[in-house]
Parts: sequence; structure tokens; C-alpha cells
Amino acid sequence: MAWADGMVKVLKAYNVRYLNYVPDSKIEKILQAARGLGGFEALPLTREEEGIGVVCGQSLAGGRGVMLCPTAGLGNSVNALASLAIPYRIPCPIIIGVRGDLGEFNPAQIAMGQATQGLLDALRIPVYSIKREDEVEKMTEGALRVCYASEAPVAILVTNELAGWKEGKAKT
Amino acid sequence: MIDRGEASKYLVSKLRDELVVTSLGNEKYDLRAGGERARNFYNWNAMGMASSMALGLAMVRPDLRVIVYDGDGSLLMNLGALATIALREPENLIHIVWDNRSYAMTGGQPTATAYHTDLAAIAKGAGYPRVERTETLDAFKQAIDRALTEPGPWFIHCPIKEKPVQGGGLPSPTAIKHRFMDEIGAKH
Repeated sequence: MAWADGMVKVLKAYNVRYLNYVPDSKIEKILQAARGLGGFEALPLTREEEGIGVVCGQSLAGGRGVMLCPTAGLGNSVNALASLAIPYRIPCPIIIGVRGDLGEFNPAQIAMGQATQGLLDALRIPVYSIKREDEVEKMTEGALRVCYASEAPVAILVTNELAGWKEGKAKT
Repeated sequence: MIDRGEASKYLVSKLRDELVVTSLGNEKYDLRAGGERARNFYNWNAMGMASSMALGLAMVRPDLRVIVYDGDGSLLMNLGALATIALREPENLIHIVWDNRSYAMTGGQPTATAYHTDLAAIAKGAGYPRVERTETLDAFKQAIDRALTEPGPWFIHCPIKEKPVQGGGLPSPTAIKHRFMDEIGAKH
């Protein structure tokens, strides 16, 4: 997937080594691209909140990691962001595979998907929403620059406009 | 039963370049009373996060031992971290859990370990290869001496009776961070 190849190329250029994740079909594309490029370590987590702690630990040790999760996972991460990454000023890039937006078939994904932007705004976390393949590298790079300059979390949204929506049976 | 203050003094006396991450509970004050160290990272209020942070530190710095100073309430909030630590198997991670069977900072309400839950058994079931339960100060000292020299990840479960501690007075979150990172030569 070209968008995912572009994204992991930028991650590598910014010395991001650790891909801490809770899976999702969009996140899987990024993990595949990272395996193709090489030089990353992927760590599967039981819950997204854990990932914020792991990224913060990696960051405090001078390493660079990202948290990869679906929109639902952002909801599981809120207090870790608010009580750790934000007050201690720890850079924490979060790459979010969007569910619950354009084309969603699963009724239980929609509320969290629609709340994502507002939730991040309420936490004062900058949001970079990538909608076109030709802007993937610039947006990813720009987001990482803000993250490390501000020493704070940033969110990168991999949208359905960019990566497609998940096929699934609509309700009967 | 172990006195956490005495045990903390012993631990600090044995530490050289190890990193320590505390939970938000009272154990951080006993650790600090054992001797202030720039390599201690104190959590003001990140519930359950100490173990996950220690995993991140241990991944990036395999040359240093990383100690989690955890409590029963904090660990119960992030039990999944045990499974993640066990799957990654960082040999340099030592997870110490002070189990007072209560939420001591909020009025002493019982945690699940006051009933049927056994945190050492959970750690073993999660896949930690080295699990010890220490009921006396001597047993604690022996476990610490081994954990500081033999590969882990270690899980050291310490049932205790909570005693009043002299709390408060932590540096600001950013002061804690900068002191810790400067000490180990880390940059973002």
C-alpha cells in the first residue's frame, strides 16, 4: 500500500524504531510496510492505554516509538495522555486508523469515530488528518516535527478517504 | 510481614545505575525516603502506567536494569501489562509489587487482593519466568540480590501492612523528567 510505505519511510527517517500497536486493518498495512522496509520493532499490546505508557518509557530513555491504534483505542488512552504524556511533556506520536466515519458499517464504531476530533481538541492535542496519498509524507513529517519540538502528544489520523473503509455486512 | 520503609532503604543501598519507575501510590515516598536518586521516575497520578513505562525503558536501554515500584491497586488497573511484559521478556526488568490489599491513598478501601486475587499467581500465569513471593525482610533481600544479578523479567510480590508515610513534596513532573533524562544522557 503506497500510503503506508510513505508513512513508514518518514518514521524511519525520524529515527522512530518502536511500533507499539493494538491492531486494526489500517494499522496492519503500516506494520506490513514496516516489515518490508525493516529496522523497526513491533510490540503488540493488550490495551491502548498501555501503549501510551510504553511510548513514554521509550521516549524517556532517548528512544522513539509511536502508538498505533484504531479510533476506539484513543478512548482507552485518555487518562494516560492526560496524566503522563501531557504534564511530563513527553513526545508521543499516535497514529490512529479511523473507524466510525465515512462508509462505516458497524453501528458500535460510529460514536467514538465521531468523537475523535473533539476529544483530541479537548486535550489540546494537535490533529493531522491525512486524506490524500500525495500528502502522506509531508503530513507525517510535519506531525513528527511538531511532536518532538513541543515535547507533547500529536495525533495522525489515517482516514477512510485515504485508506478506504472496512468492508462489512450492513445490518439487516 | 515486611516493613516497606526498611525494605526500600535496603533496595536503595544496593542500587547503582538502575532505573526505577514508581506507581502513583505511597511506595514512591518510601523509595524516596531511602535516598533521593536522579534515576527515580515518580508518577504523580498516571494510574497503572509504571509497569508499561518500565517496559518501554527496558526495551531502549537493555544495558540498564529497570525496576518497577508498583502497588496492588495500580497493577490491578493495568493487568494486561503483565502479559505484554511477559511476551517481550525483557531480561533487565524487575517488577516489585507492594501489596497492602487496599487503596491506601483514598481511604483504605479494599482491593481485589483483599479477597481471592493472587498477583504472584497472575504474573506466573501471564508468563513471567521469575516469580517470588517474599513475606519477610530477609526473603525480600535475597530476592532483590538475585534479581539484581540474574536475568528476568522478575516479579517480586510483597504482601505488607500499610503504615502511615510522610508524603508530598515531589518535584514537578517536568523537573522529574529532565533530571532523569539528563542523568542517563537521554534526549527526545
